[in-house]
Amino acid sequence: MTTPSSGPKTAWQAAPSAAGTGPGGSGPAEAARALLRGRGAELVVKFNLVLVFLVLCAVASVLAPEFLTTRNLSNLLQQSALTGIVAIGMTLVVLTSGIDLSVGSVAAFGGMTVALLMDHDMNYVLAMLISLAAGAGFGAIMGGLSAYLTLPAFMTTLAGLTAIRGLAYLLSDGEPVNADQSHTFQLIGGGFIGTIPIAGLIFLGVTILAALVLRGTTFGEYVYAVGSNKEAARLSGLPVRGVITAVFAISGALAALSGVLLTSRLTIGQPTAFDGLELDAIAAVVLGGTNLFGGRGGVLGTFVAVLLLSVVRNLCNLMGLDSFFQMVVTGLILVVALILNVTIEKRGSRA
Amino acid sequence: MNEAHETRRADGTGTARAAAPAPRPPRLTMRGIVKRFPGTRALDHAELTVRGGETHCLLGENGAGKSTLMKVLAGSHQPDEGEILIDGERVSLSSPQQGLAAGIAVIYQELDLVPDLTVAQNLLLGRAPTRGPIVRGRRRIELARAAIARVGGDFPVTAKVRDLPIAAQQLTAIAKALTSDARIIVMDEPSATLGEEDLRKVFALVRSLTAEGRSVIYISHRMDEVMEIGDRATVLRDGRTVAVRELAETTAAELVSDMIGESRELVGTVDRPRPEGPPLLEIRSVHREGLIDVQGIEVRAGEVVGLAGLGGAGRTTLLRSLFGDGHAAVSLRLAGAEVRLHSPAAAVRAGLALVPESRKEQGLMLGLSVGRNAGIASLGRPPWLAPRRAGRRASADALSGLGVRHASADQLVGQLSGGNQQKVVLAKWISRGGLRVLLLDEPTRGLDVGAKADLYRQVRKLADEGVAVLLASSELTELTANTDLVWVLYEGRNVACFDPRTTAERDIAHTVITGTSPDSGATP
Repeated sequence: MTTPSSGPKTAWQAAPSAAGTGPGGSGPAEAARALLRGRGAELVVKFNLVLVFLVLCAVASVLAPEFLTTRNLSNLLQQSALTGIVAIGMTLVVLTSGIDLSVGSVAAFGGMTVALLMDHDMNYVLAMLISLAAGAGFGAIMGGLSAYLTLPAFMTTLAGLTAIRGLAYLLSDGEPVNADQSHTFQLIGGGFIGTIPIAGLIFLGVTILAALVLRGTTFGEYVYAVGSNKEAARLSGLPVRGVITAVFAISGALAALSGVLLTSRLTIGQPTAFDGLELDAIAAVVLGGTNLFGGRGGVLGTFVAVLLLSVVRNLCNLMGLDSFFQMVVTGLILVVALILNVTIEKRGSRA
Repeated sequence: MNEAHETRRADGTGTARAAAPAPRPPRLTMRGIVKRFPGTRALDHAELTVRGGETHCLLGENGAGKSTLMKVLAGSHQPDEGEILIDGERVSLSSPQQGLAAGIAVIYQELDLVPDLTVAQNLLLGRAPTRGPIVRGRRRIELARAAIARVGGDFPVTAKVRDLPIAAQQLTAIAKALTSDARIIVMDEPSATLGEEDLRKVFALVRSLTAEGRSVIYISHRMDEVMEIGDRATVLRDGRTVAVRELAETTAAELVSDMIGESRELVGTVDRPRPEGPPLLEIRSVHREGLIDVQGIEVRAGEVVGLAGLGGAGRTTLLRSLFGDGHAAVSLRLAGAEVRLHSPAAAVRAGLALVPESRKEQGLMLGLSVGRNAGIASLGRPPWLAPRRAGRRASADALSGLGVRHASADQLVGQLSGGNQQKVVLAKWISRGGLRVLLLDEPTRGLDVGAKADLYRQVRKLADEGVAVLLASSELTELTANTDLVWVLYEGRNVACFDPRTTAERDIAHTVITGTSPDSGATP
């Protein structure tokens, strides 16, 4: 606090080189210590995660030879994509210090509407757009209620979780709806370009787009400002309520997109789909280093976290461990990640 | 301290209280209390002696050290030097629990009640009558009823505190303090929230408490109350005890002059004339029943107008209302045109800017960098891209012009010193451009002397560029040295304005404390 001249800056400059040297570098401990100072904390969380991810992949390829096969990897990406897209939307919401519990229900609703509309002979592009708009609309309503009436987002989206799931069932009386009318439509969720799943590419595209919006637009900067200090943002003349409404709308639209992709892959709309999706998404966001109280983090961390969680699951599958075991492992990973986050943050703020 | 003059009155002229013979030690003695905070010395060898069975008033201007002294007494602040004796015995009060155990009960202005519990639950919080593990609800209600009746309250003890009017809450807090067996009861400005009738009840209670031999320390700004209820008064100024007086032999004017001090005959040091021209900001009225009623304050372009007043006089409410953030009805003209600002965003668009009271909670995003904080208000225009670069570019001149000491624009704003943080808030508004009216609420709170002077220099520079500045401060000396005109707010109203070039600071201080001019000195 005395002379803010050199300390934090050098730490910041040290960051890229530390990332470059990686685990095999000459003084990783030293670099890590440098990173722990000042704003390096954020980066450490991210690079830690990449490191853990790479180590995990290495371990996986040793333990299960079939891990590194093209088919398995492309499968893995395919499976990550749906949760991943939702987790990106969730990241935006969490960055404003909000939370969206309704994503699973909105995704199911999105998947159902697209199937129903196509079942009524609507063009699949139009059907998809309507589905995404419905998701955005739901998000805007829940976010708007939270922003304009100062209701806790936890509650408005919990209400959404129940009500929208109900709506998804009501659409078809709880029955699945056929969606195998258009071959092109099926490709979106289930197709491949070469060996790469299209859904995975969409996930990647959404991540990059979100990263660009967060870093490169005024809106993105407002997201961070609102999450960092809502009152200061408001007193700076920022459209705080609009920003909050918008991130929930984006989260809703991305959830609906995820639903559309599932319907496309399964060629059927399932009202029961995506049960508990919100928890997977939140887990990925937090594991990705985004602060649950807003203002810090980003979508790239979430991207890696989603892949990491998928690899864990995939590894368990390949090793023949059952899903109960997977759940325990996933929970443990989350706890460890949180402890790590808090520890690093404390050190960062003390420096 | 050396100027402290104590006048003792002969025994027997007092009220109902028993005249204590000399050899008995006083109930409470606080001796040579020093309390330092970073950058300031809140208490500088303060003294306080309270006898058994007396009502002792504690007086002083904003920041004189009253609250700090009472926090030391309550055990929530540890003094750096000095000793506390109760009934002649030295005590160490290192926590509020120990303060309570020593028989000290403090009723703060911000009542420490749990709003969602009932009156009865609050009164006996942690001490509810039980039979085994079961709370005896009916017994608790009986006890609570007795306690409330004792303080003259006539509201149901089964009501939730949240649902009660503020006066009833105040009485509940007093009743709660009395359920412990307190020998010394501190009341911090109870009249601030009480109406006349309820105040009578509190006074009756104070009298019955002192008749029982307990001591009451009564903090108030209102001279009439002090003269009515008090036996003696201790006056603090700048953390020092400057006078201890027998109130029966003292006039209100003498007390006020003790509080203000003799050394402040000084006329302000503003050396430039008041700027000419039509008002840029015309506050025609800011009104909300029972909260604020301000009319006819005008600020010209290039002018710095100060707002003085005691805590709770309405300075913050006024500034927030002007900034479109409040529930008061505002009638406002900007450069001659009527404007309606329904939100801070609208106010910002109209060219207003607010440097809020608490820079950490309202002014800054502590987790973000200096550049992002300083640039955040400048981003609301096309092309809406590359915000960090745009913000950095917009704020670079402002940051260097204000002389913000920072390593780089990437440094976290939370790592800067208080003065530099406040300048970042200012830089945020300068970077935006189009600034017409700058509202500052206690901008120098917590800054050291150098940083204060620097901040005022920057504010003056902005005024010279044609900005109309309205600046609220509790530090009268700062206002008289740095403003063109000082308005005094008292209980939500603007009661008088002074030209600091021709008015002695003590005259303004007099108005701040009493709400009336010393000798019709108001010259609007």
